[in-house]
Amino acid sequence: MAKNTQIKSHVKNGSRAFDVFCVLFCGMVCLVTLYPMYYVFIMSVSAPEAVNSMSVFLFPKGFQLDSYAILFKDSQMWRAYGNTIIYTVSSTLLILITSVLGAYPLTVSGLRGRKFFVTFLLIPMYFGGGLIPSFLLINKLGLYATRWAIILPSAFNIWNMILVRTFFSGLPEELRESARMDGAGHLRILFQIFLPISKAVLAVVSIYSIVGMWNSWFNAQVYLPSVDLQPLQMYLKRVLVQMSVDLSKLNSTEIADAVEKMFSATQLKYSMIIFTTLPIIFTYPFFQKYFIKGVMVGSLKG
Amino acid sequence: MRVREKTGRPGGMKRKKGYRKKVSWREQWELMLIMLPAFALIFIFCYIPMYGIVIAFQEYVPGAPMIAFDGSTKWVGLKHFMDFISSRTFPRLIRNTLVLNGLNLLFGFSIPILFALILNEVKLSRYKKIVQTASYLPYFISTVIVAGMVLSFLDTNGLVNTVRKMMGLSVKAFNMDPKAFPAIYTVTNVWKSFGWDSILYLSAMSSIDMNLYEAAKMDGANRAQQMWYITIPSIKPTIMLLLIFAIGGMLGTNTDLILLLYNPATYETADVIGTYVYRDSLLGGRFSFGTAVGLFTSVLNFTLVFIANKVSAKVADYSLW
Repeated sequence: MAKNTQIKSHVKNGSRAFDVFCVLFCGMVCLVTLYPMYYVFIMSVSAPEAVNSMSVFLFPKGFQLDSYAILFKDSQMWRAYGNTIIYTVSSTLLILITSVLGAYPLTVSGLRGRKFFVTFLLIPMYFGGGLIPSFLLINKLGLYATRWAIILPSAFNIWNMILVRTFFSGLPEELRESARMDGAGHLRILFQIFLPISKAVLAVVSIYSIVGMWNSWFNAQVYLPSVDLQPLQMYLKRVLVQMSVDLSKLNSTEIADAVEKMFSATQLKYSMIIFTTLPIIFTYPFFQKYFIKGVMVGSLKG
Repeated sequence: MRVREKTGRPGGMKRKKGYRKKVSWREQWELMLIMLPAFALIFIFCYIPMYGIVIAFQEYVPGAPMIAFDGSTKWVGLKHFMDFISSRTFPRLIRNTLVLNGLNLLFGFSIPILFALILNEVKLSRYKKIVQTASYLPYFISTVIVAGMVLSFLDTNGLVNTVRKMMGLSVKAFNMDPKAFPAIYTVTNVWKSFGWDSILYLSAMSSIDMNLYEAAKMDGANRAQQMWYITIPSIKPTIMLLLIFAIGGMLGTNTDLILLLYNPATYETADVIGTYVYRDSLLGGRFSFGTAVGLFTSVLNFTLVFIANKVSAKVADYSLW
């Protein structure tokens, strides 16, 4: 078999050394990417004394989860968390709807003006008004300082539309033809035939949207001056970057042996990092499952 | 040799080349209604702001009409562009933008390719999957959190300085040091995106025909030669495409990370065009000026893409259009 001779002929001296080098190199890369988060994690669950004396490097020293329990008292964090969930769910649903509705007609070969519509879709990817004209528009529409300033601009995503269009184009034309012969209108074809077999591309679009919205902060920075409406990343920005929020104030001062149990701002910050990244880490395995397929669809045909 | 196509139409009627049967008007209407929500949103949020670019040539005040024929808009031509180019901060901004984007191009572009090439050589498929999955984890972590981690690690009491103390080195205030900023920014950027960026290359590599390698081995090629003559040329189109886009972003306004990592002490090397526009024009209310700067960079970027495309067509036989 061709495969066997391939494996056998791989075992040449220089080739072996090269293999070992590759494996080691990749192992190092793995460590470099994983260590920072790992460090944050072990610092967050170690005993406060170990954290304050900066003696935690490879393994947690002591183990506690109180630093997380304390975060539960942070009402600002919960409000921000709630806002992020609102924005993420709404923008993902809207993006799914607009991507599918926008992409489907472009795959009907007899559509009049198809070239025009596709060009209409592509131009904004290369050219835009910029930050200030967008800002002025949001103001003019009366959306400034409202949730809509975040939700509406993120209700669509041209890249995702193109992805879905590429996928739909790859579906066999016979599906559509036989449905039309049964007298189905386009909406029915879309929802009853195309969608059920598009799970992979819809999963990819969902994950792109969820991760994108969960991690976004700049739009909120520009359009949401009031803390009440701001998403999680804005709160994290105040805690981790601007450091204008001191988490150690959350420590309770009534406990008798309070001093030892006092968590430093750093440890609480690290706990908050883990706590707010956990949901995204959960979407990670789903991503792995659907993603490679999605990239191939997008890159090969797009 | 001309190939005659049999269309089988009565009377031997021929079809026009590229002719597609158009849908009925009723269907057209149906399809356009379906497209409407998406395209309306695109029109409002992508195209209307484009029209707002006109204020770059005006002395715009909020509330004033952008186009009026009764003289209520004040046109100043290229004044803002001239102001920008001759301003004191201009040299610093251009220098920082080019340096930071240049470093990003140098390292951020080559490292994913290098990583993909080496990972592709690993034959243990489970190990390969684990490494790849680990490599794009940083992409999923938000920029705010990454910036928070970097600022914390580089703090005078942070991880890096603790290790420095243990090694007998002095403690350095990295976050305040303008000289350290380019390195900090580049390393962070590369760490965050190399795994994600390498996915495209790895996908392309996985579809290379194994027989090519077989044939090369029989001709006596070693691993390095196989990589040079087979693997790399197969991903050349992907590389050129991404390279052209990367060059087109050289004056770019991708300022997320910089806004989070910089502070007034590091403006000297950290302030780029994008961050300047945000601070000075958005927060400072100089709308016309900011729009002019934005337009300036867009035009320059497009010119760069155009030039890069021409060069790529000549040198690497690849072009976007």
